[in-house]
Formats: sequence, structure tokens, C-alpha cells
Amino acid sequence: MEKEKVINNVHVRVEVTDITDLEIEAFVYYARSDLKLDAGYGNAITTRGGMSIRKELEKIGNLAPNASLITDAGQLKAKYIIHANGPKFQEQDIPLKLKTTMLGILATAKKAGITRLAFPAMGCGYYGIPVPQSAQIMLEAIEEFTSETNELEEIVLCMLDLRQQGAFLPVFNDFKVGVLS
Amino acid sequence: MPEDRSYKAEKVIERLGKKLNRQVVGSLAACVHCGMCTDSCHYVLANPGDPTFAPAWKADRLRKLFKRHYDWTGRVFPWWVGAKSVYTDKDLEELKDIVFGKCTNCRRCSINCPMGVDFATFNRMARGLLVSVGVMPEGVAVVSKDQWEIGNQMGVLREDYLDTIEWMEETIQDELDNPKAVIPIDKPNTDVVYTINPREVKYDPRTISDAAKIFHMAGENWTMPSEGWDMTNFGLFSGDDDLGGSVASRVYDKMHELKGKKIVISECGHGYRSTRCEGQNWAGMDVDFEMESSVITMRDYIKEGRIQVDKSKNTDKYTYHDSCNFARSCGLFEEPRELLNLVTDDFSEMYPNRSENYCCTGGGGAMSMSEYAPDRLKSAKIKADQLKATGANVVVTSCHNCVDGLADLIKHYKLDMKVTQLVNLVANALVIPEEAEVAVKEPDEVETLKGLFAGKKIMVVDDEPDLRVFYGSVLEDNGAEVIEAADGDEAIGLAMAELPDLITLDLSMPGKDGGKVFEALRKNDATASIPVCIITGRPELRSLIYDRPVPAPEGYLDKPVSEETLIRNVRKIFEVGRAMEKQPV
Repeated sequence: MEKEKVINNVHVRVEVTDITDLEIEAFVYYARSDLKLDAGYGNAITTRGGMSIRKELEKIGNLAPNASLITDAGQLKAKYIIHANGPKFQEQDIPLKLKTTMLGILATAKKAGITRLAFPAMGCGYYGIPVPQSAQIMLEAIEEFTSETNELEEIVLCMLDLRQQGAFLPVFNDFKVGVLS
Repeated sequence: MPEDRSYKAEKVIERLGKKLNRQVVGSLAACVHCGMCTDSCHYVLANPGDPTFAPAWKADRLRKLFKRHYDWTGRVFPWWVGAKSVYTDKDLEELKDIVFGKCTNCRRCSINCPMGVDFATFNRMARGLLVSVGVMPEGVAVVSKDQWEIGNQMGVLREDYLDTIEWMEETIQDELDNPKAVIPIDKPNTDVVYTINPREVKYDPRTISDAAKIFHMAGENWTMPSEGWDMTNFGLFSGDDDLGGSVASRVYDKMHELKGKKIVISECGHGYRSTRCEGQNWAGMDVDFEMESSVITMRDYIKEGRIQVDKSKNTDKYTYHDSCNFARSCGLFEEPRELLNLVTDDFSEMYPNRSENYCCTGGGGAMSMSEYAPDRLKSAKIKADQLKATGANVVVTSCHNCVDGLADLIKHYKLDMKVTQLVNLVANALVIPEEAEVAVKEPDEVETLKGLFAGKKIMVVDDEPDLRVFYGSVLEDNGAEVIEAADGDEAIGLAMAELPDLITLDLSMPGKDGGKVFEALRKNDATASIPVCIITGRPELRSLIYDRPVPAPEGYLDKPVSEETLIRNVRKIFEVGRAMEKQPV
């Protein structure tokens, strides 16, 4: 299956990789409302990136549902982290909330002048959002946002493992650019 | 949605319907409240006046839901059959305290039920229902997220794992006085791929070096994987089948990539059950390789004469604790005893034992749920009495979870005992032949003094002069001899003439692109085995490399590449190659 495609002049590719160890300009961390860098990638960010990221978040305090904000990435390979408080588990109105979160992330990235951005499979895995549902919403949001701005050059969609990639790729391959309603 | 039920409660009820299968429904419907299960549960035995610990009582908290929503009797006569629903998030919290806090899913009640009710199965299902709406103890959340995102349940990062393996390799080289004793990483086509518990990396690396020593002395053709190495699976404890599938598939996918013949699973009860018995169902995968507990591997090494042991080296008085998952759920109770008798002289049983043994009280993820520790340690009185009665000063177990559970209760009840595992006893009893103790001069040691890449010839291929200078100077600073090529044709010619030890290759170049160069090098016998590290600023050109009918490159980096990244990756490529050369076949 294809792992790369161009959406509105943005190179989008799917890859199994540890998003916190990626050489990229910015990556998205699926954050909590209290902005605590908890287990999993949160712990990896603190361990690899140093305490400065945590301190920056502590100063900010909280993040509203479906909102996003940007911080430095400390000693990580990336320069910035975009923290996004997306929907979790089986909460209500996931499609709408996830789309709002995605568009917010892209706007945050644009404001910071970021051209190379990495996403996890948003809300999948621990937070339980089904991969095909997340994939569809992510791609729609990317197309919608980039149809109005062409500043992004590259988007990497980072999968946890081959199993997650296997669920993501059929949606990625079936996604036709330019047919959004 | 009824107005008086919370959204989460509604979702739990909805998902319950999807989880019902013959086994679960049988268990939900068959209970006659005979009370046989109460005498089998360590929580009940330690709390005789509290009926809320009885398996039948706990089961009824779930049964009432089933009756109310999925059984016709509960819909028609709810008052008669005790049918009741959950309405609020507080109801879910109370259910959480029962299914996580009052049961370790040890299954002792299951095998003692005359009606065949498997309480542990639907207790696990109930945990999964709650986890799906985010209701779980904090410890369960932490471990689950670590395993989902980092790939192991203690959040051990890849570099820390590899560093620990390297450290343990140095340890066994020192102990055996033999630099040929190595721990290969990602070696393909081995007879054994050894998977471990992340606890070993974080808290007990001695078990890794002991296992490595045993594999080395057995002359095993083995490796450890760089990814998919965690054979534990928190999905078994949290009831999250998706997590179970994700973890298991990482292990199986890596095994397929390495083309190994057999996974050997280090001593871990739930890890063995998850990887060997349950993982294929969760992952929906068929596997074409063997899976075996390291207990069996070590026993067979001794019986086949591949390693020699001297049992007089283990001088304590030992007893054996059967892990619930290892013994009760997977039937492995004679094999560890056989091995224990091969490496010790003084072994006494504890009673009851084998499938009737009591839980270490740390099972089912209990060690990660600190809020329930008081109840756990109170129930551990049963285990403490059992241990004390053996008169042993060392309790042996084939489970890392049990090591922690037992150690905690030994401390709490002030028992004069230690906990150890079979791998430690086997390694301690090893007879090291004289020739293995002869120190062999290790050329790497000399090379390290001169520079990381001393003695290596590295060809840098890139059409950007600045980048050639940058890569070249970084590599030369670390001792390498560097040759440069500015385009594809020059690269092929120079590679043929100089036969470098490694090539860094750009993809986008004038004339012959990097993909064509790579294929030409791989197809030429003289250059086919030279490691290649792709360094490209055009990730969209990856297909130039990976779609070609030749083996994949040994390394791949996206530009811009830092000095540190370049050194780390080149070093890793050399290390993997060196480990493969050293491995005795």
C-alpha cells in the first residue's frame, strides 16, 4: 500500500516511528487538560527533552478541551511540541471534537511558521479512538486546512506499530484529495 | 439515552453486549451460590468477616448488569433475579474498586467451582469495560499508556534498553573473562529470539546477564530484538484486548522480521500466558514459529549436556512458588521442579502447590495499584503463612511479578527469606570450562583508544560539497579514513576500487540517483555486503530504495543530520555487523 501522497502540495507520509525521537520541526503530543506530561510519550518527552518542557507547561497550567498550544522541545530532535487536548476514550461527539482539535493544531503550527510537522494517530491506542475513524478525520482536516494555506511542506503521520499502520493505511490509500463535501 | 444514566455508564452497558460470548454467559448464568469459591480465595481467607471479598458476591456485581440488560429474566422479573443497572459515574468507580481492588484474577476460585464459573474471565472483561471509558486506577493508566506508546510496560526507552544490554554484555565478558561472549541484537535467522520483561531492564538486569551467560555457554545461536522485546502484556490485566493485540503483534512482527525459529520467553507468568497462549487471539495473527518458556530451554540444555552445572554451588534451602498464570493457567508446574532439582540439593514443596497454589498477591496488575495495597498486604497473610511453613530461606519462582509480590509480603511480614528465579540458580551453578576463561585480545579495545571508527574506511556520497565536508570531518574526527564521491557514477567506481567498510549515500543526485547506485552496489558481489546508510533530504524518495528487489539498507537518516546522530547511527551499524560476525553458529 502507498505510504506517501501529496495533499495540496504538502507531502504526507505514514511511518512507524517513535514520534518523540523524530528529526522534525514540530510534533504533536496528545495532551491532558492539566498539561501534565504523564506516561508513555509524556515520559519520553521529559526524559529525552529535559525538564524545561515540563516547567514551561507548569507555568501555563491548563489547556481547554480541543485546544492546542506550542512549547519548545528542549533537547529533543524536534524544535517544538504542539500539545493538543483532543477527545479521549468514548466521550461524546468525537468526530467533531477531533476535527476541531486537528484544525487548531494546524493553525497553531501556521502561526509559528512550522513547515514540517508530525502527528500521532490522534486519540488512537491508549485513548481508544478507532484508527480508521481517526485517520479519516485527520486527513479531512489536513486537506481542509491546507487548501487555504500552503506553508506546510511535510507532514509525517507516526504510527505506533505495524498493526496500527495496517489499520491506518487503507483509509490513507482510499482518501481522495479534492472530494471533500 | 435515558436521562438518569451517565454517558459513561451507558457506554459500559452498550459494550457489555459486545463482549458476551458462550464462556462469559455460561459463567454469568451458572452460579448456584454454593460457596465453594469462598474457601479458595486468599482475600476471603484473610478477611473472614467480610463477604464483599467472596468471588460469588463480586460476581453478582457484574451478574446483575447482565441480568438487567441482556437476560430476559432480568427484564421481566428484575426484583426476583437481582437485576440492577449502573447509573452514575460513582457506580462505575465502585465497580472499579471491586474488579481491580478485590481480585488478582488468579483463577483459584475458577478451578474450584463445581459449576465451571470462571470468575476471573468476566472480572477481566469488566475491567476492560471500565478501561474503555477511562475508569481505572492511576497505576493501570500509567502502565497501559507506557505499553501502548513506548512498547513496553515500564516505558523503557529504546536507547536505555540498548545501553542496558551493552552493559550486561560487558558484565558477562568480565565474568567469563571472554570478550567473545556477546549479546547479539537483531541478528537474523537465529534459533532463539530471547524476549524479556521490562522489569529486568529497569530493576533486575542480572537476570539478563545470567540468561546471556547460559545461552553463551550452551553455544546457542541466539539474539535479542531491538523492538518487540517486551513479552509481558498489560492487556491481560487491564482487560483491554486492543492493547493485548498491539503488544503481542509487536513481538510477533519483530520475530517475522528477524526470521527466528523460536521465541524463548524469560521467566514471567503473565508474559508467558500472554505471548504463548492468548496473544495470537488478541492480535488476530497466526504464527509460524515456536514459543517456549526459558525454564524448558534451560532444563533441556542441562539434559542434553549443552551446559554443565554443579548443584553444590547453590547452598540454600529452597522452596518453589507456582505462578498463577504459569501453573494454573498454562500447566507448567513439573518443568520448573525438574530444573530446580537439577541445580539444587535442598528443595521442599510448599502446600498447597501446583495449580492449587495461592497467588503471590501481586498478580493481575495489583503491584501497580497502590491504592489497594493495604488490602493486598492483608490478604498476603495467607501466602506468608504458606512460605513460613516450608522452613526454606529462599523461595524460587518463575515469574517477575511474583518476585515483586513475594518480596513485598516478605518485607511486610518480616520473614527471613529471599526470592530468586531459576535463571539465577542455573547461572550460579554453571561449570565454566577452562578454555572459556582464556582471555582473548579484543581488537575493539585497541580501536576505541584510537577513535570510534579507527581502521574503518567510510565512503561519503553526496552532491553537496558542504555536506561531504561535514560528514567527512565528523567521521575523520572519530578515526575513520574517509573517501568522497560527488555523483552516482563516481560512487560506484570508487566503491569497486576501494571496497569501503560503510557507505553514506544521498538519494537525490545529478546523473545516476542514489536508488540506482544502491541497487548496483547490492547486485555486485564485491560490494553487496557493504553496509549502506541512506542520508536524504527528500523523504518522498524513500521508494527509490525500499521498492528495489535487493536487501534494505542498514541505516536511513533524514536530513538535516546532526553530528551526534551521524556518529550514533554509524556506530550502531558497525556494532550490529560486529555482533553478527562474533556470534558462534
